[in-house]
Amino acid sequence: MAVHYYLTVFPMEAMVASQLEPEQFGAYMALGDTKAAAEQLMFIEVEGGFGDFFDWDYAEKKCVPHSDGRPKNSLYLAVYRALENVPLEALGTMYLVTKDGRSLAIDKTDYKAPAQWPGFALYREYCPMSPLAVSTLDPKNYGDYMTDPVNKVHAPSILYADLRVGDLNDIENSGNVGHIYDKNLDHLKDCVESLRSGKRKMTKIVDRSNFSTSFYQIIGEGLYVSTEYGIVMYPMPDRDELKKSHYDWGKSAMIF
Amino acid sequence: MFGFIVIVVIGALAFAAINYSAVKKKSAGSDEMQKIAGAIQEGADAFLRHEYSLILKIVIVIAILLLVVVSWYASVAFIIGALMSASAGWIGMKIATISNVRVSNTANETKDIGATLKVAFQGGSVMGLSVGGFALLGLALIYYVFGVLMGQTDPSHLVIKTNWLGINDIPFTMTVSGYALGCSIIAMFNRVGGGIYTKAADMGADLVGKTEAGIPEDDPRNPATIADNVGDNVGDVAGLGSDLLESFVGAVISAMVLASYIFFTSGHSANPVSNELVTKLISFPILFAAAGLVSSMLGVLILLKSNVSAKPHAELNKATFIAAGLTIVINAVLTWMVFSGMDLSAAGFKLGALSPWICAVLGVVSGILIGQLAERYTSYDFKPTKGISAASKEGPALTITQGMAVGMKSVIAPVITLGVAIIAAHSVAGLYGVAMAAIGMLSFVTMTVSVDTYGPIADNAGGISEMAHLDPEVREITDELDAVGNTTAAIGKGFAIGSAALAALSLFASYLFAQAGPKAADGIELVLNMINTMTLAGALVGAALPYLFSGILIESVANAARAMVQEVRRQFTEKPGILTGEETPDYRECISISSAGALKEMKIPALISVATPLAGGFIFGPEFVGGLLIGTTLSAIMLALFTANAGGAWDNGKKYIENGHYGGKGSDAHSAGVIGDTVGDPLKDTVGPSLDILIKIMAVISLIAVSIFSKFNLFSLLG
Repeated sequence: MAVHYYLTVFPMEAMVASQLEPEQFGAYMALGDTKAAAEQLMFIEVEGGFGDFFDWDYAEKKCVPHSDGRPKNSLYLAVYRALENVPLEALGTMYLVTKDGRSLAIDKTDYKAPAQWPGFALYREYCPMSPLAVSTLDPKNYGDYMTDPVNKVHAPSILYADLRVGDLNDIENSGNVGHIYDKNLDHLKDCVESLRSGKRKMTKIVDRSNFSTSFYQIIGEGLYVSTEYGIVMYPMPDRDELKKSHYDWGKSAMIF
Repeated sequence: MFGFIVIVVIGALAFAAINYSAVKKKSAGSDEMQKIAGAIQEGADAFLRHEYSLILKIVIVIAILLLVVVSWYASVAFIIGALMSASAGWIGMKIATISNVRVSNTANETKDIGATLKVAFQGGSVMGLSVGGFALLGLALIYYVFGVLMGQTDPSHLVIKTNWLGINDIPFTMTVSGYALGCSIIAMFNRVGGGIYTKAADMGADLVGKTEAGIPEDDPRNPATIADNVGDNVGDVAGLGSDLLESFVGAVISAMVLASYIFFTSGHSANPVSNELVTKLISFPILFAAAGLVSSMLGVLILLKSNVSAKPHAELNKATFIAAGLTIVINAVLTWMVFSGMDLSAAGFKLGALSPWICAVLGVVSGILIGQLAERYTSYDFKPTKGISAASKEGPALTITQGMAVGMKSVIAPVITLGVAIIAAHSVAGLYGVAMAAIGMLSFVTMTVSVDTYGPIADNAGGISEMAHLDPEVREITDELDAVGNTTAAIGKGFAIGSAALAALSLFASYLFAQAGPKAADGIELVLNMINTMTLAGALVGAALPYLFSGILIESVANAARAMVQEVRRQFTEKPGILTGEETPDYRECISISSAGALKEMKIPALISVATPLAGGFIFGPEFVGGLLIGTTLSAIMLALFTANAGGAWDNGKKYIENGHYGGKGSDAHSAGVIGDTVGDPLKDTVGPSLDILIKIMAVISLIAVSIFSKFNLFSLLG
């Protein structure tokens, strides 16, 4: 059985070795094996063997089948600073796993700027920190800014998504956005307004530690991994594509 | 006249058989779909078999009691009533479990909502036609065998007779009351048992599957999902069918009983009811109902033969209005033919030959109005339900509070409508007019039941489409049909409650008449003296009774749901492979839990409805029971309207959020909306419908037993 390496980015940053295939790994992590869990999960399959931060030899040695032949489900290689130690080239397919264990696979692509730019965007960071921020920067510039060593506050690498923003003044017709607007809507509106008016800096934190769950239905153009050396994108399939090819996942993700 | 009724009955049942066969001939789809549908069918069959075997014992006991204490004809009529009601419930459940998968497959093959709607409606029409056909068949049998052949409706026999126990009654009133009681007993068990079953399964599936495990609705990984679909058939189909059949029969017999007593008590008055008139007053309700059945058949036929648009709600409304309109027109002619040229003053007809027809029209109009009012309070197109969705933003407590406010406020308008209908009907044709208003409201019951049964069939079809992983387009079609079914169900509940109130009032008047002895031919004053301590005490107990009954029902649902929740959790814990799709859930265990829970829990509420008036009568006497009936009727109508509308509003308030309002699925508002919906589920689907039957079953039992406990009761014996 081959050993796979998975970089989990939500709800916990970790590098995990496993003999499970990606969908199996997603279901295992979301649902548990002997306990009845129900937890969302986001992870990226990575090509192992790079660098010396992770102990690949240990993984190969320890990630072996159980005595009864069952595959090894998980072997943790690191539980923090994992993302920053994975080069962009090693990142493979990303999987968005629902609470009931269904996975949506999204392939990595080059960065593509949003077709329409309303002048600001709402960003949800997943890893290494989890703030909700509003910014006048487009996804690439936001990633560059957040990973720029020149800035006092920066991270070597971040994973984030741009979010769909509805009409903040018409919450009754919000669309299917989950609980993003449940708390501090007025604060969010103030943040957006302050950026739009140019009175404030180009990026503002709306919520320092955001969400215990991730709502896939509000992901906009896609998810991004940005470092000071570059950016890759995981484009979110549009609704038609989801309906056509991933309907069951869409139901579990509360999109349909 | 009798020939016309026989033709209508044969026509209705033949039409039902044709539709049954037409639906059955349609393809049931893939092996997977058939396997799922087979599991649902097997579960529903097993439950009804167990339920009916339990009811059979109770039916035998009651039949023997009636035979010994009242008369053999009441006993036989009771058995016929039970048979008719049970048959309608059984056939309805059978066709629903045959139709569901075919509806799903039609959506899959045609991708056309109109064609799919037709199959669902054709399945529903089998139930509607069976309800109308069997109810009328029983009534016709009773009328012809006991009334005509045995001469019970002969004016010379419409007198109070005394049996071996010294008990007074008019034989024909006992016969038809026995028939109504048979229908009521089955309806009570089907409604209560089915209601507990369906909500236990629904709540178990939702609370663990959806809320805890995050599984979507109708996902085959949910162990309770098949039980949930079975519940739709045993509760919303079999329960609803026998409920409305009982309402229909109750309305018709209340008019017949009233006519008999009006005739007898006016015998020595200055203006007695003539022999010819009483014969017509007794037979007219059956004739009216037969014409209503013809109208409904035409309405069904028109919908099935026309090009159906992609707007299912509009199509169903159109068919209902056609049936209602035809009922009004045909019966205008019929009423004129029956009563024109007669002196009708003795019957209290103020507006000539068309007086009873005018009362029936009042019933039709008020029924539609009550239905529309129900829609206004429960549909998310209107402010009350949107208000609940808005309140959900602030959490579950305010969701519950706002829903209760909507439910309570929703009571007044339909009650005023009923009040106006009662006053107007009474001023046009006396108490007989009130009974005619109830008949009018239910005269197109075949169409109402067809539309109501379509709902759970569409719901099941949606479940099968989901479980069989059919195309998203197919699931959207069945989901849309299901959504329409929720609205039609709310409107149907309005009809059921309104007609129950009118029928109960007529039965209550009959109850007062039935206290009369042989001397009442000199006239009787119908007075319920509320200052009488017995009456007042009875009214107080009666008003509290629906709360006790409802509390027991809700507790029963909670008990059964708790067992279901524990079972689903157990399966998820012990078989983690269920959620990954590597193991199959044990659906049978969940079906067994729901089934056992319902069978165990339904006995006490059913017993209360039967035993309370008897216990009250034999201990405290007829005045107490008179108060008991009026107290129960008033309180139950309010509670039934409140529970039906609050539950419907909570349900649709949640759906409004799910449609992308206040954050949509996954928002805090949605979580609060789900809690509101869960609280409302047993209210609208178990308590509300059962209350309709409670008031009628108590009225019928009191009507049968009043002459017994008037003579034998503890208080009169003591003092």
